[in-house]
Amino acid sequence: MNDLQNDNLTLYGESFTSRFLLGTALYNSPEIMRSSIEASRCEIVTLGLRRQNPGNRDGDAIWRYIQESGCRLLPNTAGCKSVKEAVTLAEMSREMFDTPWVKLEVIGDDYNLQPDPFGLVEASENLIKKGFKVLPYCTDDLILCQRLLDVGCEVLMPWGSPIGTGQGLLNRYNLNTLRERIKNVPLIIDAGLGAPSQAAEAMEMGFDGILLNSAVAKAQNPPLMAEAFADAIDAGRKAFRAGLMQKRQTASPSTPTVGQPFWHQ
Amino acid sequence: MKSESQNSFAIAGAGLLGRLLAWQLLRQGHKVTLYDAGALTSPNCAAWTAAGMISPLSEAVVSDRNVYEMGLYALQIWPRWLQELGKDDAALYEGRGSLVVAHPQDLSELQQFAQDLEYVLPEASNYRHVAGPEIHDLEPDLSSSFQQGLLLEDEAHLDNRTLLLRLASEIRRLGAHCIEHCPVEVSAGAVISARGEERFDWVLDCRGTGAKDRLTELRGVRGETLHVQTNEVRLHRPVRLMHPRYQLYIVPKPEQRFIIGATQIESEDRSPMSLQSSLELGSALYTIAPAFAEARILEQGVNLRPAFMDNQPHITRTEGLISANGLFRHGYLLAPAVVTQVLAELGLSAPSPFAHLLTPSLGESQL
Repeated sequence: MNDLQNDNLTLYGESFTSRFLLGTALYNSPEIMRSSIEASRCEIVTLGLRRQNPGNRDGDAIWRYIQESGCRLLPNTAGCKSVKEAVTLAEMSREMFDTPWVKLEVIGDDYNLQPDPFGLVEASENLIKKGFKVLPYCTDDLILCQRLLDVGCEVLMPWGSPIGTGQGLLNRYNLNTLRERIKNVPLIIDAGLGAPSQAAEAMEMGFDGILLNSAVAKAQNPPLMAEAFADAIDAGRKAFRAGLMQKRQTASPSTPTVGQPFWHQ
Repeated sequence: MKSESQNSFAIAGAGLLGRLLAWQLLRQGHKVTLYDAGALTSPNCAAWTAAGMISPLSEAVVSDRNVYEMGLYALQIWPRWLQELGKDDAALYEGRGSLVVAHPQDLSELQQFAQDLEYVLPEASNYRHVAGPEIHDLEPDLSSSFQQGLLLEDEAHLDNRTLLLRLASEIRRLGAHCIEHCPVEVSAGAVISARGEERFDWVLDCRGTGAKDRLTELRGVRGETLHVQTNEVRLHRPVRLMHPRYQLYIVPKPEQRFIIGATQIESEDRSPMSLQSSLELGSALYTIAPAFAEARILEQGVNLRPAFMDNQPHITRTEGLISANGLFRHGYLLAPAVVTQVLAELGLSAPSPFAHLLTPSLGESQL
């Protein structure tokens, strides 16, 4: 912690200098996506496969282009609504990209894309038994997170708020609880962040990394927003390591104020 | 012996670009051979699947100012071209603007659209906010739940299928040699097919995704549309629905037909429409106007949009060979600018304002 030189993020035994993970959907063009990846300084990018007919490799052109960014690909199971769908897609992505890593999403609600916690635990257990390194997209519920650890997840990715809302950290109490109770497992805030200040706040709270997509992709200048998030994540991390001062209450003085007669206080 | 000014042109691909270029060249008196892998009267080009909107503002939001400026040019050129095509063809063009709406719970999507528009085109004044009563006056059949919208006054749309067929018959009338069901490869001054190698002064490669053999940076982007028909709904202009998950449009067509589209999936998958997509398109249609519930589904369209990685059109030129490609989701919006620039490259029209479309390389592989 006090080693100022080495502050790498370690996920499933692999070390990364960046604490920013970026999604590759929703950009106005693949070229803008690639410029954003570059500006974000990230080393891991997520990739959705569900709707691309992956069995036929029909998305090859765009996947190759993303791979050329040099980042590690983290396939996700976005759009999967059942355990079976998510497991099948994860198996397909392992074969296609030659990686056991998967960002696991099991979606419980079609409108706000909220995770289905029950399906998520089941799918995680299933995939870990098959040798996958699962990074589950979950809610901020402590017991859910503990269950995910019980079945063998070594990274957790709780939401800040629902996907694509830009609402930031909606439940700081829950998030603080997670951080205080789950100390030795990387916790990455995934989804719901809209502004770099929100990412900085999460990092100041001691979260290990940030994963987002819409806030960058839907910005009017995505590469510039990617850089803004990267800077905020760095700043928040440095602040956490440096140790934030406690907030101080000075509304009602505890001792006489110098220069003011005590009967006026 | 051909005259000094008459050149022989081969055009590979009878999509929108191929047809427009053939028509323009024939009108100037050149000799044109038009090749297509399919048939001219039953095309399977992206332009046949497309909805035929000319919407520079809406498309600028999902691309950039460059697309907007080419789109403004399209708004000027299309009425003129249609008039030149035939006396009844002007009617293929409808310029009543387009309407952008969102359901009350999705108003932030509409605000985002307005904010993006303001960012890309701070000076644009050809649109305005409209509220419930005016939305109802403009489109009485829309669901009454739409209380806010944007009217993009200059936008237009075309009866694109009739246009493609009209272009085909006009091209034939002007004497083009049309070679159908004939996939080709192209190189400088030559077309190679099952017919052997044929030589021309110029070859224009307009094959869209068919040109992937030469243009390694080209990809296809899947789009899906539904065609429905009902007498219960009338729309006077295209309506765009802003929604957190998808942004869709409905375009009215002759004979009470409507196209709703289009999904945009980064995949070169040409298989039939997925149930997910049909649910999304269908439910969006239903919420736009519940009377669509009893519309009949006539067709499910699936095709690939040809696109480069910047999603912008590009032209390359070497002696004897010009490639024009990458019109992505903006075929009817960008074709006039691309055609004008190709003609300028050939020295057959005045210098065009779209010289920036010319690109040194698109990853061409040599045959």
